[in-house]
Amino acid sequence: MKRMSEAKQKYEDIPIPEELSKRVMLEVEKAQVRYGEKRKKHRMVFVKRGMMAAAVAVALFTAGVNTSEVFARELQNVPVLGTMARIFTFRSYESETEDFKISVDVPGIEMISEELSGLEDSVNEEIHMFCQQYADAAIERAEDYRQAFLDTGGTEEEWEAHHIAIKVWYEVKSQTDRYLSLAVMGSENWSSAYSETKFYNFDQEAGKWITLEDILGEDYARIAEQSVRQQIKQRECEEGMEYWTDEWEGIGEDTRFYMNSVGNPVIVFEQYEIAPGSAGEPEFEIVIP
Amino acid sequence: MKQTLYDRLAAYIIENQNQFYRLAFSYVKNQDDALDVVQNAVCKALENYESLRDEAALRTWFYKILVNESYACLNARKRMVLTEESSCWEIPCEESGYEIHDDLYERICRMEKDVQSIIKLRFFEEMTLNEIAGILKMNLNTVKAKLYRGLKTLRVEIGEERGA
Repeated sequence: MKRMSEAKQKYEDIPIPEELSKRVMLEVEKAQVRYGEKRKKHRMVFVKRGMMAAAVAVALFTAGVNTSEVFARELQNVPVLGTMARIFTFRSYESETEDFKISVDVPGIEMISEELSGLEDSVNEEIHMFCQQYADAAIERAEDYRQAFLDTGGTEEEWEAHHIAIKVWYEVKSQTDRYLSLAVMGSENWSSAYSETKFYNFDQEAGKWITLEDILGEDYARIAEQSVRQQIKQRECEEGMEYWTDEWEGIGEDTRFYMNSVGNPVIVFEQYEIAPGSAGEPEFEIVIP
Repeated sequence: MKQTLYDRLAAYIIENQNQFYRLAFSYVKNQDDALDVVQNAVCKALENYESLRDEAALRTWFYKILVNESYACLNARKRMVLTEESSCWEIPCEESGYEIHDDLYERICRMEKDVQSIIKLRFFEEMTLNEIAGILKMNLNTVKAKLYRGLKTLRVEIGEERGA
């Protein structure tokens, strides 16, 4: 069978084009979006123990994500303790045309404490703007895509079979007696290239946005970077996945993070930022020293 | 976090993509088509992951899709270029002085589709005859018969070339 092993060698010598992994990842990502939609039903909300009222409220808000504005308005009457902020679905709409489907849930924050009223307007305005901008840009992209599809010989029926969907929604990452972390997300089911997640972290006591510096101190960049690098090393050993730490520029003001339920910041990287796409958006919890 | 069957499928695909590409290339013989075949197979597999019940069968399940996609590509090409023979698409990548008629790999790739699939899966991908039967949706005895007939043909042909 010597000849067969030569043939096998020849087979194994077939060169692999660079494009292969891109094409494979493209499909994996597209599927990930579809799969993610299915699993989103089981979304979880983290709430610190002992905050029953808030827990009830947060759970209800999440459950009410896809329901009407009326429901959202009613929710505002749920009593909440302390100086906490409340989150509710400020605006929710869904529309489905022949061309595509869009659903948008815009979160709103309401400050309970009197002294902080007024602040919520700027907070909410920023969140709403992000949602609106994303939805507008996504609609434009969908329309461009449709035009290109029709121009290149696709038919209306074939286009409809694409089931293009745009989604803007939010998740409460955590709400403790001090911090509130919201993730506002936008996605399009035909491409993950434009998926975006923005985190909003709010200090309810001080009534202001928080930065990593507020949490970790002046030396935040070094502390966080050290912790991330250490965790990467550990993960590389455990998971056998290679991270691209050489190209990583370290922690900065714009580094995305949210506060978890125990009050530690969690750094979130973009897909492909420091690891292959299969790693998704890697997260690293930085334990406050 | 518990890894779902879906996650494992995605991981399997990413891990073994080069293998998929080689098999696809061995059928379609050019890079563009081979890339398309792999991409389509990955897309179909991920879309239909729910039809994969048994994790142990993941590999054969995926190869079934991959082989089907390769066949589909060859068939589509046959329809498109009626005047040309499909085997004309082979990329001449022989080293100088390399005797093409003596090359077992090329011979295998020129055999009847089912026979070449059986030989490739058996000897290049090192699958069992049972797995191959599952992938090609054939009865085990049919696979055996085709394999032995195929090997005999190869041996005879090579023998003739050598003797000539």
